[in-house]
Amino acid sequence: MRYLTIALSKGRLAELSIEMLEKIGIDCSEYRDESRKLIFTDEKSRIRFFLVKPADVPTYVEYGAADMGVVGKDTLLEEGRNLHEVLNLGFAACRMVVAGPAELAGKLDSLNNKRVGTKYPRIAREYFEHNRRESIEVIKLSGSVELAPLVGLSEVIVDLVESGRTLRDNGLVVLDTIADISARLVVNRVSMKMESERVNRIIDGLRKQL
Amino acid sequence: MSKWKIYTADGVQDILFEDCYLKRGLEQKFRSLFRSCGFREVESPTIEFFDVFASDEAAMPQENMFKFFDQQGRILVLRPDITIPIARISATKYREARYPLRVSYVGNVFRYDDYGGGKQNEFTQAGIEVLGINTPESDAEVIAVAIKALKAAGLESFQVDIGQVEFFNGLMEETGLAEEDVTEVRKLIDRKDYVGLEEFLKRCEIGEDLKELISDLPGYFGSADVIERVESKPLSRRSRQALENIRQVLKILEDYGFGKYVSVDLGMLRELSYDTGIIFRGFTYGVGFPILTGGRYDRLLGEFGMDCPATGFSLGVNMIMKALQRQKIEAESPEVDSFICYGDAGRRTAFELCEELRKQGIVVEMDIANSSIDEAKSYALDRNIGGVISIIDEDTVEIHYIQSGEVASVKISELLKR
Repeated sequence: MRYLTIALSKGRLAELSIEMLEKIGIDCSEYRDESRKLIFTDEKSRIRFFLVKPADVPTYVEYGAADMGVVGKDTLLEEGRNLHEVLNLGFAACRMVVAGPAELAGKLDSLNNKRVGTKYPRIAREYFEHNRRESIEVIKLSGSVELAPLVGLSEVIVDLVESGRTLRDNGLVVLDTIADISARLVVNRVSMKMESERVNRIIDGLRKQL
Repeated sequence: MSKWKIYTADGVQDILFEDCYLKRGLEQKFRSLFRSCGFREVESPTIEFFDVFASDEAAMPQENMFKFFDQQGRILVLRPDITIPIARISATKYREARYPLRVSYVGNVFRYDDYGGGKQNEFTQAGIEVLGINTPESDAEVIAVAIKALKAAGLESFQVDIGQVEFFNGLMEETGLAEEDVTEVRKLIDRKDYVGLEEFLKRCEIGEDLKELISDLPGYFGSADVIERVESKPLSRRSRQALENIRQVLKILEDYGFGKYVSVDLGMLRELSYDTGIIFRGFTYGVGFPILTGGRYDRLLGEFGMDCPATGFSLGVNMIMKALQRQKIEAESPEVDSFICYGDAGRRTAFELCEELRKQGIVVEMDIANSSIDEAKSYALDRNIGGVISIIDEDTVEIHYIQSGEVASVKISELLKR
């Protein structure tokens, strides 16, 4: 039987994903052994999995290099890949928001030239251009996005917010919520068909864990 | 100025000896299959007016097309699809022809970063269209030819999923949702985005039964009993007719003996397309993308001034090649059988012998480098050529078998009798 391959996101999602896989009976001991292996295999159930940067998970799954993957909704929205999003795993929950100085609250529309600082240019564009039908200038940043409005690099930011503390500490407020974010199970479009039995068994197993 | 001269552009590739041989072989197999089923091939231009692909029914996303201008400033595109040009051709050039019309094509299409091509900007499609008829028989024939094509390519484990967009349209008609919302639902179902679909439906004012049916739709795929499962639900006439249509097509495919290759996916929809009835996609192991897509498009020819139902499919030739390679299905490679060496005196004999052998279907390469026999043998070994034939005189040659190392002196008359 061919291996069913699962791509997991490195970082905070990895540990939670592994726990879920273990709960449905997938042997993750190779991962627990902390070897230098890149691919971990459960020979008994013919499943193997690997860890990659979150932004790469949708790519592996879209191309079929992995049959399934676990990845945050934020990454899915930003990558815009063509795949099946089958299950909300619920963990790593947070929100994608537009934030800015408190004086902009309720006045987002009146701003003529909007410069938006963000790690998620595609989500920002989609939200402003598609939902709000407004033109914006996206300023792509790679971290500490909250700084941008404080030093005049941008008027607002689009970013993930968990508790909202970082925003508050920097005098910023949430101006609008774009989407609720959490970890999702994604499946390659062909694997969904060609391996539907095994894939569905995993989906059902995980669904029962929720 | 010449910074890029040694590179190929994004999303295109050189197809080298082995691959090209495999690809031409596949194209040939598809051509002769289509031909044997009564299809006649057309060649549409690589360059078309932008307008051909910008009509309401055939709205290709403009950001996916390669665009440029002609001398009068009109917008041109590299064709992103061949079905639409064939609709144009049929509606303008074959208006008076006797229908149904069976048309086939093999050609390259161009799209920026497209899913169908597996992220290649240039890829080859082979396909057929059946125009002027809307019967389950015609839908089934098109699917059957698609299955035959995949078999002819050498694939054995593949699956063709069949859907019917009218089933979804029937549901949407009942909901009374605005067109924008329908588009959103279509997108969510096509992505099997259960999560997003549920969230979206929560915000819609739709009856509970209908809501449940729509939110389950992405899961309605598998063997034919999916149809029975759905039929027990409260459905509109339109949706019911769609189910009946699939059932009829499946039954005909059973008679073709192709039942084992097909399954049903009621949640199969395309985000942007001209589909109107039965649609289908083909999958196999080793490539994460469909290798074949097809379906009915009864309104497309109307865009070109001729109301005419139609259906067809296209195969992704590059995808199928990749699948064959990944599944390690044995492929022939472009071999050379013999290498003929000769001196000035033997030239005429060499040419005559070479012609005779080629007539017999043997692939012969002539030595144009005036090699010594050792050089010739070394060349043959590297190139995997079976043997070197050295002209001795008008009647005799010496054959050096590369694998065994044997040497035999043979009369030309005998050699040609083999």
